[in-house]
Amino acid sequence: MKKLFLMTTILCCMISLSACGNKKSSSVTAPDGKLDKCSLRFSWWGGDDRHDATLKAIELWSKMHPEISIVPEYGGWDGWTEKVASQVNSSTEPDIMQINYDWLVTLSPDGKSFYDLETLGAFLDLSAFDSNVIDFGKVSGKLNAVTVSVSGRSLFYNSDVFRSLGVGYPETWNELIALGNTFGFEDIYPIDLDIQSGSTAWYLAVVYVQQKTGRQFIAPDGSLGFSEDDIRTALDFYKELEENHVIRSVRARTDEDGNAALYQSSEFISGNVAGVLEWGSAVGKYESVLPDGVLEAGPLLADENGNNSGWMIKPSIMYAVSSHTKYPDEAAAFLNFMLNDEECAEILGTTRGIPASRYAEAALEKSGSLNGLAKECSDILDAADTFTISPYMELPRMKSFYNAAIESVSYGTADTADAAKQMYSSVSEYLENIRK
Amino acid sequence: MKKNSYRNPVGVRKTTGLVLISPFIVGAFLFIVYPFVSSFITGFTSSPDHSVSAAFRNMLGNDDLGKAIGVTMKYAALLVPMKLLVSLLVALLLNVELKGIGFFRTVFYIPSILGANLAVIIMWKYLFTADGLVNQLLGTIGLSPVSWYGDPDSSLFIIVLLRLWEFGSTMVIFLAALRDIPKELYDAAKVDGCGNTRSFFSITLPQLKNVIFINLILQTIAAMQEFNAPYILTNGGPLSSTRTVGMLIYDEMFRYGDESMANAISWLLFMLIAAVVYVMYKLTAKMREEQR
Repeated sequence: MKKLFLMTTILCCMISLSACGNKKSSSVTAPDGKLDKCSLRFSWWGGDDRHDATLKAIELWSKMHPEISIVPEYGGWDGWTEKVASQVNSSTEPDIMQINYDWLVTLSPDGKSFYDLETLGAFLDLSAFDSNVIDFGKVSGKLNAVTVSVSGRSLFYNSDVFRSLGVGYPETWNELIALGNTFGFEDIYPIDLDIQSGSTAWYLAVVYVQQKTGRQFIAPDGSLGFSEDDIRTALDFYKELEENHVIRSVRARTDEDGNAALYQSSEFISGNVAGVLEWGSAVGKYESVLPDGVLEAGPLLADENGNNSGWMIKPSIMYAVSSHTKYPDEAAAFLNFMLNDEECAEILGTTRGIPASRYAEAALEKSGSLNGLAKECSDILDAADTFTISPYMELPRMKSFYNAAIESVSYGTADTADAAKQMYSSVSEYLENIRK
Repeated sequence: MKKNSYRNPVGVRKTTGLVLISPFIVGAFLFIVYPFVSSFITGFTSSPDHSVSAAFRNMLGNDDLGKAIGVTMKYAALLVPMKLLVSLLVALLLNVELKGIGFFRTVFYIPSILGANLAVIIMWKYLFTADGLVNQLLGTIGLSPVSWYGDPDSSLFIIVLLRLWEFGSTMVIFLAALRDIPKELYDAAKVDGCGNTRSFFSITLPQLKNVIFINLILQTIAAMQEFNAPYILTNGGPLSSTRTVGMLIYDEMFRYGDESMANAISWLLFMLIAAVVYVMYKLTAKMREEQR
């Protein structure tokens, strides 16, 4: 019995050791230039507007290509990163995935987890994309992902609330802070910032400091551009917003909403919180919970001299194909449909932002559907001198450093100097390690 | 010498038993032994210099670990005694011979069946928001609302309350043990002039020692592995006051993608639970011996 136990344990160790080897060693299926009958898994995150439009687009695809069925997998943003990360780590990811920009760093640091889309030219037309937009998706020289849309965060307001108070949308940081007093009389708030997975609290503070200093928080190569003093200025600015009743404190927000997303909270739906900082490509979920036309895009906040630099853009959504797919040609054909097909573009509209593909953009223009908040947000950002967000800025571990600093300042467990010192040290050390 | 042979009363062959339990054995190796060994190897040999000591150094350098262990121990220390006490009290109440008592026993067990359901945790989540049912009830009796989620001291208490509400399994074990205590002991005590309180402390509690110990161990292990409730209710906040070791393992593995750290912390949790159980075993050894 002892021998049997010993043998089994040794066997387990051997299997484990072999399992610890390179998980990505399975061979990549080469394109064969023809479309076979198959079934492909396609996953995305988003709100109901995006889900509905994508399901309709898949329906259209099924009519055009009944031999290639698409199995949809979709859900909300919360927890989606963890879900896809575990799928990729266990090689069980869908064939085609909607991915976030920073996932290129975390999920495919060597460019091998996703298929090199440049090898799928027979079915995927990339000529409709600008070369700089294509470059966003390259890792170690391989095109791991194709950009669906380029977007940035800007401010959107509940127009009914602003109208009822007789105030206009703020154009400068000082005007935003002054709004706190007006809204405070009614015990409502002009905007909301959070320390959830989006870390909007830190994002707006970064924009403020970037505009003030002209330095980018983290450069695209992952080097830290802010000093400890810059971080302190950002935290001071955040504190000022809380103290002036511009935003709810972390404690008040947590009490009212728990950890629910803002667009699901009664405070936003009822108008007690009248503004949100959101990506143009994802604002639809906020728009859909308010009456039609109530949510409006506001101007980018600027300094007293009208300088509105410091705001940021990024490839807000990308598509990638798993390196484990058995049907790369078919996946490429479906991607081409989602990115460039005229009819599909009309169905999808701007639920993933303004399409980066010129074909899709032209189709929307032709059908008169190139409008709405996503378009307004895109135009506003296009007119400004923006930074391109570094994928390192959005890494989950980095967000945990930002959120810890904001939370400690908000709860008063640390002053802004101590919180800045701690955050500067954590961020520098982490960036140094991850860029090795 | 006559060879000892086993005669199966139902006439099946010796290997049949092995075949019948083989699904369990295969399952246990695949889903328990293999992950167990694999986890150790991933956790302790994938550090930069492939050594256990480096993995420990790396783990101890994790700023969140100490706090998570503190939260987990505080949570277990709050929950386990309260749960044992409540379960025992309810078991005593339900141990009376009354018409329809079976209905009440079922009713008290229901939260334990529902408790594992995420829908219940989500329902719980809405009970404690600023304008949730609990604060409304407090308002009706003239009390001011409590900052359940926002206050680092009260947020852990919500999770304790949720798990306390699920006392059914512990209560059922107590109830079964109570029903096993010979009635003669109580009759004899009554003859000797013992009241209910004296009977409880001199008969019931000593008779329940081993069952209390089993419940103590089972509940301590479950509490130290807590993940679901803080993940859904508070996401570990505020100020990491509800971030248990279970949540930290999840964050390291799935949020930050640090497989090595997550597995190493899992092993640390395993050793911590083993140590706590060992200490409990040793501390109660004399007490349990006395009963024999």
